[in-house]
Amino acid sequence: MGRGGLSVFVAFIVGAIAIVSLLLGDNPALFGAGAGSEELARRLTLPGDVLLRLVVIVIALSVVIGIVNLLYVHIGRLARGKFYSAVLLASFAVTIAWTVLNKGDASLLEAVQVPIESALAALLFPSLALGGARVMQKRADVWGLLFVAVVLIVLLGSLPLAELAPVQAFSDWLMAVPVNAGARAILLGIALGAAVAGVRALLGQDRAYRG
Amino acid sequence: MSEEFNWLEYAEPEESAPAPSPRRGLSRFLPRLPRRPRIFRTLRLSFRPRLPGLLRLPRLPRLRRGAQPAPKQSSAADLLGTQDERPLEELDDRLQMLRERSAASLRSEAESRQALYDVDEVLTAPEILDKPGGVISAAALSKAQQQQVELLKDIVGGGAAQANEVSGGRIRLGAPAFSLSAIPRIVGTAVLLLLVSLPFASSDFSEGGLPPAEFQEDRHGATTLYNLLDNLTTDDYVLVAFEYGPAAAGELDSIAELFLRHIVAQGAKPLIVSSNAIAIARARNIIGGINRSVAFSGNELVHLRDYAILRYLPGGSLGLRELSENFADVARVSYKGELTGLEFESLDDMTHIVLIAERAEDMRHWAEQVVTQVERTRLLAASAYAASPLAQIYANSMDEIVGLLVGYRDAYTYGQKLDDDFGALLPASDAPVNEPVSPNRALGGAESQAEGAGAMVEPSPPTEPPPPTVAPLPTTTPRPTNTASPTATALPTATATEESIRVVEVISPEQVRIRRGPTRADDILRLALAGDLFAVIGTNGDGSWYNIALSDGLEGWIAAFLVEEKTLTVAEFLAGGGEASARNPGERVYLRREIIASLGKNRPRYYQARGPIGGDIPEYVLLRDRSAEVPRLEAMTLGTLGAVVIIAGGNVLYALGALRRRRREADIE
Repeated sequence: MGRGGLSVFVAFIVGAIAIVSLLLGDNPALFGAGAGSEELARRLTLPGDVLLRLVVIVIALSVVIGIVNLLYVHIGRLARGKFYSAVLLASFAVTIAWTVLNKGDASLLEAVQVPIESALAALLFPSLALGGARVMQKRADVWGLLFVAVVLIVLLGSLPLAELAPVQAFSDWLMAVPVNAGARAILLGIALGAAVAGVRALLGQDRAYRG
Repeated sequence: MSEEFNWLEYAEPEESAPAPSPRRGLSRFLPRLPRRPRIFRTLRLSFRPRLPGLLRLPRLPRLRRGAQPAPKQSSAADLLGTQDERPLEELDDRLQMLRERSAASLRSEAESRQALYDVDEVLTAPEILDKPGGVISAAALSKAQQQQVELLKDIVGGGAAQANEVSGGRIRLGAPAFSLSAIPRIVGTAVLLLLVSLPFASSDFSEGGLPPAEFQEDRHGATTLYNLLDNLTTDDYVLVAFEYGPAAAGELDSIAELFLRHIVAQGAKPLIVSSNAIAIARARNIIGGINRSVAFSGNELVHLRDYAILRYLPGGSLGLRELSENFADVARVSYKGELTGLEFESLDDMTHIVLIAERAEDMRHWAEQVVTQVERTRLLAASAYAASPLAQIYANSMDEIVGLLVGYRDAYTYGQKLDDDFGALLPASDAPVNEPVSPNRALGGAESQAEGAGAMVEPSPPTEPPPPTVAPLPTTTPRPTNTASPTATALPTATATEESIRVVEVISPEQVRIRRGPTRADDILRLALAGDLFAVIGTNGDGSWYNIALSDGLEGWIAAFLVEEKTLTVAEFLAGGGEASARNPGERVYLRREIIASLGKNRPRYYQARGPIGGDIPEYVLLRDRSAEVPRLEAMTLGTLGAVVIIAGGNVLYALGALRRRRREADIE
């Protein structure tokens, strides 16, 4: 068994244990109504819990590794004279120093990050409005018309104006029926995709874990 | 290649069938489907369904002068070619490496000679020069295509070719430095910015109504979520999930703060948790804001006594799975790594779980990894507006999920309900009055303010919320904490109201500034009008400034020549619309109207009220800064109206342009 085969084997075994543990361990009723069934379910839960904790610890460590890698990359870029890398490293150092010296004070978050991210999010408003105004420039056909009409109906429906009550009713219907149906379809697709991806990983069809 | 290529005799090779892709897995045992059914190929039909011609409008070319289609960048080599126009040091690291590899793989002429044994010359591809109307163009384009090119040149004014520059054998696809199409964008952005800014500058620019006083009806009932939190007692713990980052802070901070205030006001303890590390810091800051608002009473929330922030949950959905499977372990450690001293067996020990979600994925993860693992606990959900279509699916289909509160408008409704209900706990004469002051009254300052508490309620403008009544508590909502609390009995007694206090009354006909300190250089805390009454705490050294108590527990300073000192009983003082402070006899609820300086305008705001000092309920709820709520909602309405006008107007213009172009095409044909 080569390196690839071994990793597939390990992945399959671990995945199977986790699935059995999480599925059966949560349902003691599957093993009958006696006291022994609870104990059996608890024992089945144990390996899944252990694996879950291991995974979470590894992910937490990967966050630290990500930070170290970020620093490593930008120190390298700094050596090549990249200005923005210098800004990033200085910001990192100032934030760490500020937080440590002020015993966990998070005012930098309020003073810097929240305003900047909020401002960037606010840019979406004029961008989307002006982009929406140019739909018919890019796509002057019936689908473009349909898109613009739906956008306008939903926007008008969100306005708190009594004169627009019929539009609001239609907008509510749009959100409750077609949008709901589409959203359900998306969620079903996500669930099916996740199941398929899991099975493929277990069976060795996707071997991203091999590196 | 010694002979010239004969374009006239050139014939395009027939399209060869693509090689079948290797088949793996179960697909090997399935019949291979044709790429296009035979009947389609025979009839030369396309798979893509087409609409009837009447429903199809032709596509418009780009109207911007000098606009060029984006170069196709389908491979790294293409990217490299495009990036080659830029200075090398500006290239991304990966592209620099790719470039270095590419350069290394290109052999020099000498190396080529050496590599090709016994060959003196290396053939190089002849340079093909194209020119408008040249042989290549003539051979490559059909007559119809040439007509279309001419039409395109006619429409774009032929400026595209002139705008291009030739340098180093490459054609730079340059756009002009300034384009006329930028003007509508600049104007549109300016209009939108103006519309969303106006409500903050003046109350004259308001459109539409405020959110309703009740939530929309859902499968659990309109007020179920609110009532579940309202029934909390001091023995309850609530897990509050902060699943939003700084980008959504503007939208979701309000609802998060209201949840926390409501929970702690009932005496329950919130346990804050998040799979977003920044959200944990955000939660700390919101708690800090609550503490600042109640700092005067010494009732600040203390970590690990009144609330707890638990450790960060890494791993997204896996972290949430761990939370539901091993909640006892998660609850033992705070975000600082301290032991919390909290001992739970499982998530079912929580009375409720409150989720504030920025993205639909957050809702999905909590619904799938947490809600399915609890038996008794319910998830009370709130989400951002953008996430609501997907989040609503879970709220509609899972009995364990109650909600959904969506965005800032539902936060306003929630806050309004809280104020109404908790204000109703106070005696009628001192209940907070939640309408704005009439603008004329606020700006003119001509009317006397000493009209009595009952006369302070003025008719609201049509766009403002209806006057809240001092309604009894909802009969469907028992309040174990409130009814049992000493709040009602701790409220002022007749003895307290007969005590005399030293007050000052504003006599200046102009607006008077109340400052943070006894100098004109100090910050302005707020404005006061003629007739306003304030309890005196003291004076400065020479008596030129009075130190006065403000309704929100703060102290301020007002110049002595602008006021007149009086001695009133507490009853007279409160009846005159004055505001007292914790330092005054009574130690209780204080009311007055608020006029808050906002962008240089005297915008009337809501009355403020404060709960009894040492009391355990209303101060956490009522002491919120609501000064920006109404203008924010009005700005949202005006901004949406502006977006509707811009989107509709722009698309009408472009559609008319498309129709005109179709007519021109028809004329040419």
